[in-house]
Amino acid sequence: MSSLHTISKAPSQGQLDQCLSFLGQHDGVLFIEDGVYHCLEQLDLPEVDVFSLKEDMSARGIAGRNRTTAKPVNYEEFVELCCQYDKVVSWF
Amino acid sequence: MERDKIVRFSIVVHAAPYSSEAAASAFNFTKALLHQGHEIYRLFFFSDGVHNANRLAILPEDEINLQQQWDNLITVNNLESVVCITSSIKRGVLNKEEAERHNLESNSMYESSEIGGLGQLVDAALNSDRVVNFGS
Amino acid sequence: MVHDMQNKDPQNIFTFISRSAPYGSNRPQLCLDIALTVTVFGQDVNLVFWGDGVLQLIKGQAPEAISSKSISSTLETLELYGIKDIYVDEAAMNKHKLKPSDLVIEAKPSGKEALLTIIERSSSVFNL
Repeated sequence: MSSLHTISKAPSQGQLDQCLSFLGQHDGVLFIEDGVYHCLEQLDLPEVDVFSLKEDMSARGIAGRNRTTAKPVNYEEFVELCCQYDKVVSWF
Repeated sequence: MERDKIVRFSIVVHAAPYSSEAAASAFNFTKALLHQGHEIYRLFFFSDGVHNANRLAILPEDEINLQQQWDNLITVNNLESVVCITSSIKRGVLNKEEAERHNLESNSMYESSEIGGLGQLVDAALNSDRVVNFGS
Repeated sequence: MVHDMQNKDPQNIFTFISRSAPYGSNRPQLCLDIALTVTVFGQDVNLVFWGDGVLQLIKGQAPEAISSKSISSTLETLELYGIKDIYVDEAAMNKHKLKPSDLVIEAKPSGKEALLTIIERSSSVFNL
């Protein structure tokens, strides 16, 4: 069963590093809240789909500063992602 | 999963409003779920999340009262919203019955939520297609 | 609208990732409380102590010094509730210079590969 991992804290908190230990090849990662700041820097992630919440990026003025392959998604698409993956693992 | 299939969700809120974004994220996510036509089995508030059910919050006019927003959302959409009693009574979030039981002068919880326990969280996980946790 | 409590599917596997140190936050106690409640419903539980979570397992805690409830006493009931699949972050144990004999319970030191399988097979994951 695949997982959508949501990361809610800024890169300095190291959640993504922790998440990597639990990241399966069919999983996805979604940055929400302060987690969207991961989009400002290059990401060293295995071959999984990565997403970032648009509303949180816009709030923070970084919608135009995505230097990663993370695909911006809105809340409705966040809902769809939760349906697409078999479960959600929240990192907060 | 087909795009137009109705999925049954439960949302678990661990965080109080305002101190972090988590409670607001949970609210926005819940709204999006309803907008997409999915089913919400249960909202479960525990730990500091119980503060989302506090009816005594007063916000400045230019700020959103998230507790009131939850109350409206739950009421208008007839959602089942459970506040974990162990977490809530410790934090002074009390419904009428609990306030009376403890001989306290006033109650602090919106009536749109009901008191419950961790059993309802587990039940929600067993009976929902998806459980999404929001915390900080 | 109220849903009656019911158990739909006996094949559910719950995994709890407990990543927080004890006493500085309420997450360790919350995590264990939910895990124990799951056992009351007769479901399978995997309990993973990861990162700072391994620190919950250190022997000889005296939380009365800070007027706090002991996490060790809850940990000691895990076996009684039938929670036997307990995994500990081997790397974190090494980092904190902890040996299995330093811990209050028996747990399987694990690395990433074991974890991936556990998560993949789980229907619900609580990550505190």
